[in-house]
Amino acid sequence: MIASGDPRHKSGQSSSKVGVGSSLFEVIQLEKSFGGIRALCGVSLRLEKEGIVSIIGPNGAGKTTFINVTTGMYFPDEGDVYFQGQNITGLPAHMVAHLGISRTFQLEELFSSMTVLENAMVGCHTGSRTGMFAAGFRLRSAREEENRTRGEALENLRMVGLEHRAADDVNSLPLGERKMLGIARSLGVKPNLIMLDEPASGLAAHEIAKLGDLVQKLVENRLAVIIVEHNMPFVMSISKRVIVLDYGRKIADGSPDDVRADPGVIKAYLGEED
Amino acid sequence: MKEDGRFKTNIPWLIFLTAIIVLPIIVRSNYIVSVMFFVAIYGMLSIGMGLLMGQAGLFSLAHPTWFGLGAYIPGILSARGIIPPLPGIFVGAICVALIAYIVGAPVLRLRGFYLACATFAIILIAQVVAAQLTNLTGGPEGLVGIPALSLGGFVFKTDLHFYYLSWAFCLGCYWFCSNLINSRIGCAMKSFHDSEVASQSIGVNVAKYKLQIFILTAVMASFAGSIFCFYLRFAVPDSFGFPLLVELLMMIIIGGVGHLRGPLTGTFVVLWLTELIHGYLGKIFPVMTNEVDAIFFGILIIIVLIFMPRGLTGWIDQLINLGRKLYDRFRGSTT
Repeated sequence: MIASGDPRHKSGQSSSKVGVGSSLFEVIQLEKSFGGIRALCGVSLRLEKEGIVSIIGPNGAGKTTFINVTTGMYFPDEGDVYFQGQNITGLPAHMVAHLGISRTFQLEELFSSMTVLENAMVGCHTGSRTGMFAAGFRLRSAREEENRTRGEALENLRMVGLEHRAADDVNSLPLGERKMLGIARSLGVKPNLIMLDEPASGLAAHEIAKLGDLVQKLVENRLAVIIVEHNMPFVMSISKRVIVLDYGRKIADGSPDDVRADPGVIKAYLGEED
Repeated sequence: MKEDGRFKTNIPWLIFLTAIIVLPIIVRSNYIVSVMFFVAIYGMLSIGMGLLMGQAGLFSLAHPTWFGLGAYIPGILSARGIIPPLPGIFVGAICVALIAYIVGAPVLRLRGFYLACATFAIILIAQVVAAQLTNLTGGPEGLVGIPALSLGGFVFKTDLHFYYLSWAFCLGCYWFCSNLINSRIGCAMKSFHDSEVASQSIGVNVAKYKLQIFILTAVMASFAGSIFCFYLRFAVPDSFGFPLLVELLMMIIIGGVGHLRGPLTGTFVVLWLTELIHGYLGKIFPVMTNEVDAIFFGILIIIVLIFMPRGLTGWIDQLINLGRKLYDRFRGSTT
């Protein structure tokens, strides 16, 4: 389990605020260590608007840590994260979700005691405000909100092509559909930025094609998508911008062609020639 | 999250409600009515614990303490003539909510067995405090001089009065909790039970909901304690300690926590089995009834855990599903 701790805003870092207001998402000099391992050292990244950015790198390069730190699952040791001009460094994960950043998980992390529809409905949690008493007494407001949430959840399921499985048990879904449900659930947050953690891993070719179409559709809906992936053909085909991490450092940032030709990247992936 | 109406037309529920209402009219046995009164009281506790453990995944053991506080606070206030019994019940509930908030805020940061240990400590502390504060609580000899509970001009005297009062509260709690489970908040609760990180990632304020549900179930236990206290007109620290916890856990395990009806069924089964054991085995082992009790329930829990890991209700659900499948297959093969 990842601890979520209390919200601590870092202070005294106003110098790095220059020019931040204009971009959708900006990460400045992010550092995170676990014991002696520096999972992220000084990673910076700037996203102006909607679009697809992929983050690739060998195992242990710090890709998932990057997602965890920027979505409030971990505290960064150093550095700042800005979203829509607001400093979100150190905000707890649920607040980050409220602001409009959502994510999926490598191992889906679906809610296994619920149906597909209920998973998607919990995803819409931030959009509703029924309190404990309204819910317990089943007041009209609670029922109306529930119907609205159900509608939104079904809409999200339709988006990823899972509406026909709405009533099914989550555990009966094959991997490809589990990944899709993870995306549908995180769409319930109505995010402006969505981070997909290895969405294509373990998927068959036709499922990857479907995933690609879905990501394109998300971008058409004016979402920014950050994809953390191992699957090179998928990444290179879908994204206009690719960032390469290695040992927690950003070693390349550019178009797929530039990255592919980058000697540093080749070295990181294939090792150095003697 | 299935039906629309505020009161779902639910046939088993209606049958159950009618049965509870007409039971004392049909059987006219003071004994049965008083045992059923205890089923309702312990039911409120076990429903709360089932909600915490089964739905929210919080292994909190502090329930006997909330029950005890719910008994002592209105008991002391009314015995000293500060607040009459009925408002005292609500004052007690508010106090319990506050205490649960103060205790829960730090303690609910713990998980799993650590939470169990911390909440278990609460029981021990509360019991020692209740036994030592002799001036206030009457100490181990118990709190006496509690006046009768009255509503308007009506005084709750007989077992029958308390039977209806306790079941009204118990079914109220059941209804509230089952609505809650099927609501947005219930789903949020189940979600952090299943995966806390995923739950946070979609904006569920896990700490807030843990605390809310902790307080809610504490208040339910407090109501149960208050009714219990005005029924006995007496309170001793021993009724709110470890033995009660064991009994509650037994009810939850035997009934199953998958659904709210599990703990209530468990309460019914455990209390009636205890009565039967005391009634029949008491004749065979007159000096060792309590030991026989412990051995019997020990074996029963082991059997339930091995053969019905989801409790009696989970097991019955499984049987019904199996029966339905067999029936479908049978019909399929004949047509």
